[in-house]
Amino acid sequence: MKTPLDHLTNKLYMLLINGIGLTIFFVFGAFTFNNLSDWVLGYALIGANLLLTHFRIQMPPEGNSMSMDSAVYLACLFYFDIQIALSVLFYTSIIQFIYERKTAWWVHLYNFSIYSIMIYSSYFVFQWTNGSVGNIHLDSLYSYVIALTWYFMINALLIMLYFVTYEKKNNAIKMFKGMTRGTIESYVSTLILAIVLVLLFQSEPFFGLMLFVGLALILSFAFKQHFKLYKDAARKANIDQLTGLFNHGYTKELLDKVFRESKENHKPLSIAFIDIDDFKKYNNGNGHLKGDKLLEELGKQLGKSVKDTGYSIGRFSGEEFVFILPDTTAETASSFIDCLRKTVNDTYYDGVELLPYGCLSFSAGIAQLHPEIVTPSELLSKAAQAMSYAKMQGKNNTHIFGNEIEEDRLEAPIEEIEQQLNILLAKDIYTYRHSKRVYKYAVEFSQLLDLKDQERKQLILGALIHDIGKVEVPREIINKQGKLDYHEWEIIKKHVTWGHEIVSSNKKFESIAPLVELHHERFDGKGYPHGLSGQEIPKLARILCVIDSFDAMTTERPYQRTKSFPEAIAELKACAGSQFDKDIVEPFVRYIESTYPLTTETVDVL
Amino acid sequence: MVIDGIILSVIVGFIRKGNLSKLTQPLFKWGWMFPLLLAIQLGVFYFQNKVEWIGQASGYVYIIVYVLGLLFLWVNRHQKGLPLVFVGVFLNFLVMITNGGRMPVSAEAAAGLDPMYMEAIKNGFYAKHELLTQSTTFAFLGDIIPVGPPYPRSQVISIGDVIMNVGIFLFIQDLMLNKDNENSHISYESSDLKGGEIQ
Repeated sequence: MKTPLDHLTNKLYMLLINGIGLTIFFVFGAFTFNNLSDWVLGYALIGANLLLTHFRIQMPPEGNSMSMDSAVYLACLFYFDIQIALSVLFYTSIIQFIYERKTAWWVHLYNFSIYSIMIYSSYFVFQWTNGSVGNIHLDSLYSYVIALTWYFMINALLIMLYFVTYEKKNNAIKMFKGMTRGTIESYVSTLILAIVLVLLFQSEPFFGLMLFVGLALILSFAFKQHFKLYKDAARKANIDQLTGLFNHGYTKELLDKVFRESKENHKPLSIAFIDIDDFKKYNNGNGHLKGDKLLEELGKQLGKSVKDTGYSIGRFSGEEFVFILPDTTAETASSFIDCLRKTVNDTYYDGVELLPYGCLSFSAGIAQLHPEIVTPSELLSKAAQAMSYAKMQGKNNTHIFGNEIEEDRLEAPIEEIEQQLNILLAKDIYTYRHSKRVYKYAVEFSQLLDLKDQERKQLILGALIHDIGKVEVPREIINKQGKLDYHEWEIIKKHVTWGHEIVSSNKKFESIAPLVELHHERFDGKGYPHGLSGQEIPKLARILCVIDSFDAMTTERPYQRTKSFPEAIAELKACAGSQFDKDIVEPFVRYIESTYPLTTETVDVL
Repeated sequence: MVIDGIILSVIVGFIRKGNLSKLTQPLFKWGWMFPLLLAIQLGVFYFQNKVEWIGQASGYVYIIVYVLGLLFLWVNRHQKGLPLVFVGVFLNFLVMITNGGRMPVSAEAAAGLDPMYMEAIKNGFYAKHELLTQSTTFAFLGDIIPVGPPYPRSQVISIGDVIMNVGIFLFIQDLMLNKDNENSHISYESSDLKGGEIQ
């Protein structure tokens, strides 16, 4: 009922009810009790009511609860008189008003008013049906029943009227249906309890009231336990035991729900399908127990990442997880997942040394809901496809569905080059992924440049294979953690020459050999292997040099800080004219800024 | 009555699997005030019928003790239950200060008590209390609630006493159970770690 009073009819209604309620109190109730023993009785009744309303009996399913304070008011009416009942109500309400400050004052006032109306009118009905105050008369038991029925009818009516005047009618009807469900039981039990309490009042007022409240409290605690068990069971049914995330069944259920809502309200929805990289390798190397431990820890971390966001995450199968991101576009989802990926990369898990990156990583596929997608499983399968694509790009990667590079335009040689490149996959995963990314930039960037078809193809293939010479560099040097010494640098530098030799060995690729050899030449002539400068360097090699450097700067490695896109762009600009060709840097920067706007804006936050 | 309340609270606390380990930490701001007020009260109670001027000043002394007690509760009001104790003490204070520094006792309610007790009140010997009459203001705040069987000790208490005891009960429950929660949390964490080490 915590809503602002902005409907006129509702205001008038509240005014009317509160007016009636207060009038009843001032006419029939009193601020004080008649004598000291009534005061003592009043204290006991007020205390009982406060306890009963505080420890309501909670009943599953959620939201249902029962308070026995009505039984106390009714017993007061039947045994004492209306003045005591109203005064008890008044002080109880005052104390509740002070105690429950979270509830708005007008809610307290309204509750007080409807109670006083209920109490007064059922008192009236009780008298009218020949009920007599005091000891119970079994021959006029019907008057107790009628008075109590009246009490509940007035209650339902007044609550319903509140909603009728405040909201739409069907809401009130829904509300009324909710109220009447299970009402018979609570109505009958309140009646029985009220009569029991009257009988107790007859013999031992204070001790009887104490017993009554004690019973109610014990019931309240018992039901609370019961309710807790119920909730635990319900929770367990939806939670994956190992990771503590939602399980497969519940994730699907949740996705169905969110999917439907997003469709109806035309709101964006993205889902991210993630899969741990090389989990099998981890399991084989460390044993399944440790694998489970890893899943458990990762589950905790993933669960933490969605805390305080509107996102949910479930464990979909073995090492697969699904994020549901309502109200989120694919781009936002992607940067969220990428940020998470970096955190996971940077977190040390026991035994990850075995993995190719030396850290835990995952590949993620993201799919956004769009009008043509009709079922949740379609969306899910799109995300799964994107995830597979991300895996193909060398893992530890996030990919948005629909952004795949169209490879068919590049024709046959690419497959052969891919085969060459796969050698790197086994030896130097970083170079493999670097090549894949440079290739991707080259595909996109070349479309924006004024290049002949043949040149475009050369650039793309060259980008893919440009570091192939690194297969000749010893593993110790490639994977060395610290700074390289002079001698080692010389060997690294040789990769361009070795690459040139490898590529030249195949007639088909002769045309891209210069790219492989010359992509480390600098515009100012300080590069290697030949120290060419300016226009002496082929145009394609100059382009490749810019792309290659940009990716090298922004490449992320676990446990290391990555240069952000804006920082890398600044660096490119600073070196334009010296290290790089100015005429290439400019369009490249424009290309990056327009294609990856989100990354260039938010990367600082990440 | 206060002692009864404390004992009962501690028993309930133990039943609820609480413990008293929190008592080793400083609980109150101005904690030294507590024994001081107690000492003053006991002193006045002991000497008021022996030393004349103490007997005459006793009403004022009790008022000062109450004011200091209220102050003490106020600075500790962030502790659970103490605001209720404050309210209870204040109600007692209110009825005492409006009736000349003595707590009015209802003769009707005290009917079941030891007659000696009533005699003492009537003669004004019993410190802090006096008989409730027609002219008593805020009579409903006085000692009008008879407590008797099944309760083992017969006495008359005020609504302020009841509220105060509820406050003390909440305070002790909070004291005994919260600490326990922290403990169980820690033990959970460490068992978790052990599970990791076995592997």
